[in-house]
Amino acid sequence: MAIARDRPAGEQGSFTAAGLLVPATLFVAIGLLVPIAILLRYSLNAFEPGKLMVDAFTIANYVKFFTDPFYLQVLWRTIRVSVACTAACLIFGFPLAYVLARTRSPYKNLLVMLVVLPLFVGNAVRAAGWMVAFGSKGFVNSTLMGMGMISTPLEIMYTETAVVIGIIAVNLPFMVLTLQSVIEGIDRNVEEAAFSLGAPPMAMARRVLFPLALPGILAGVILTFILAMNAYATPVLLGGPKFQTMGPLVFSTFAQQNNWPFGAAVSFVLMTATLVLTLLSSLLIRRSAR
Amino acid sequence: MASLTLDRLTKRYGDTTVVRDVSLDVRDGEFLVLLGPSGCGKTTTLRMIAGFVPPSEGSIRIGERPVTDLPPWKRNAGLVFQSYALFPHMTVAENVAFGLEMRKAEKAEIEPRVREALRLVRLDGYGDRYPRQLSGGQQQRVALARALAIRPDVLLLDEPLSNLDAKLRLEVRLEIRALQQQLGLTTVMVTHDQEEALTMADRLVVMSDGEVRQIGSQADLYETPTDLFVANFVGRSTMIAGTIYAPGAFRSEGGLELTCPPGPVTGLATMSLRPERLTIGPDAARLDNHMRGSVAFVSYLGGLLDVHVRLNDRDQVVVQIPNRGDVFVPAIGDQVEVGWPAAACLVFPRETN
Ligand SMILES: Nc1ncnc2c1ncn2[C@@H]1O[C@H](COP(=O)(O)OP(=O)(O)OP(=O)(O)O)[C@@H](O)[C@H]1O
Ligand SMILES: [Mg+2]
Repeated sequence: MAIARDRPAGEQGSFTAAGLLVPATLFVAIGLLVPIAILLRYSLNAFEPGKLMVDAFTIANYVKFFTDPFYLQVLWRTIRVSVACTAACLIFGFPLAYVLARTRSPYKNLLVMLVVLPLFVGNAVRAAGWMVAFGSKGFVNSTLMGMGMISTPLEIMYTETAVVIGIIAVNLPFMVLTLQSVIEGIDRNVEEAAFSLGAPPMAMARRVLFPLALPGILAGVILTFILAMNAYATPVLLGGPKFQTMGPLVFSTFAQQNNWPFGAAVSFVLMTATLVLTLLSSLLIRRSAR
Repeated sequence: MASLTLDRLTKRYGDTTVVRDVSLDVRDGEFLVLLGPSGCGKTTTLRMIAGFVPPSEGSIRIGERPVTDLPPWKRNAGLVFQSYALFPHMTVAENVAFGLEMRKAEKAEIEPRVREALRLVRLDGYGDRYPRQLSGGQQQRVALARALAIRPDVLLLDEPLSNLDAKLRLEVRLEIRALQQQLGLTTVMVTHDQEEALTMADRLVVMSDGEVRQIGSQADLYETPTDLFVANFVGRSTMIAGTIYAPGAFRSEGGLELTCPPGPVTGLATMSLRPERLTIGPDAARLDNHMRGSVAFVSYLGGLLDVHVRLNDRDQVVVQIPNRGDVFVPAIGDQVEVGWPAAACLVFPRETN
């Protein structure tokens, strides 16, 4: 009894805190690390048609990926699309987030809801909607042709542009919400102080707003970049069968070609590329804010 | 430094007018204080001068320069915020240098000016710290140094002391005032603390409900307030309601016949008395107005005593006496003689609303 009473007050608390972390830790370990470990092991196995998977310890799958121009092209395209989408989300999202964070309008909550609303519609449903709207016989083209503004349908569907636009639409709310919460935490007076000291808006943004919003910019960029790299429904539905990116490639290798070892290798390449590029971009953003 | 002129400045939000027809002349090197109760439009007025709030009507000049339509970054007005608003990601020196960098000053020029500004606020050697590593009082001084470094035409202070503890507030008050006089800074400060206003200002502007009630020196406001609001707001007053029925003759609602200086007021009126101008005890009998009353309440304020004396059913006055230890201290229920000279009476028309 005496010993228990003598114990510093904080210790009991930290035991409790550690206890509270256990479920989350277990969940991450079982739900994420174990599958990744299994995937890594699979990616080193060999593949024989008909046999699904043969136990081995080879890097042949990775060699195959990095020597075949087709796969390299898919990887490069995925990165290109993701970088473009993330940059666009940041450029469009920042002003929007700023307005949302700073508005004193009584309709602020409504505006936030409008930003979040697209998230209520699943990616696939939304992309299907876009197909209807932008197809060669879709709403946009038939309207434009009906009005005599164009004679042949615009090629919107099944292009890289369509996929980029689609992913931007999906990811923008994530960027906006992340940035908004961080900008709301920045004292408005700090911006005004910069103005009164002689900084025009762009100088204020560069020297004060962006550096202070950096944690939000980083979080938003990381979140949207990861989402873009791993996008599935949007590239499949808006890009069409010939437009391959890494997400769909993983799925088709596993599910259609039944090539588990190679699928695992592709997954690992995707995961590593995402991780490396994310780290790289955060370094870059941090550096440029100096 | 320059003078500052506000001409019939008005601000409306929708149907509500929060600042109405404010005209002011702040002389070069003058310390002007805007004083008024919460919500009377002080901050709005200051923010119009700084350029953050576009006026609905009226104009602003800094020196000879019309600035009404200029954005804040072109006004050269140094602003110190109540919350200090230091840049948290910059060191103290970087904070102070910011305005100079925006003015494209040479590197070689910036450094000595930053050092000079920090020396003025007695923060030499703190240049490498971050704002979060400073106390509230120090942060406040950095904010001041930052505003001073740009050599502003006017210095604007919005309740700069309200986040400091009482003791520090007294210190910083004197410091700001000394600095302002030393540098000859044209300054407009906003506060609702009247003691602060009285100790720092060259001239004061009393505002209420978006309007200027009176502009003048401390003595002007205290001795000759233009209306009941000012009489009540600046210093303490004790009030007697009644009627002026002949020049210099006032009859209170409780039936007291009082003499006051003849003035323009007739009919329903309110007499306002400064508690320290009243006398209690035998000496009171020699004064123009004197009567007997009973002590209702005594509040002990340390150096001073407030004696609340009930004169009749309707009328009560507060008499302030110094707590010198040797004077007669009345007790509750005592019958006492109270008096005041006619000159101590300020009479205003009764405000009917
Ligand atoms: N953007 C705005 N929209 C509508 N009303 C406003 C706005 N800004 C201020 N007001 C109103 O204007 C009035 C004056 O506000 P202001 O901030 O100038 O008062 P203040 O004198 O500085 O008061 P305090 O001493 O409390 O700081 C208040 O009633 C306030 O509600
Ligand atoms: Mg205010």
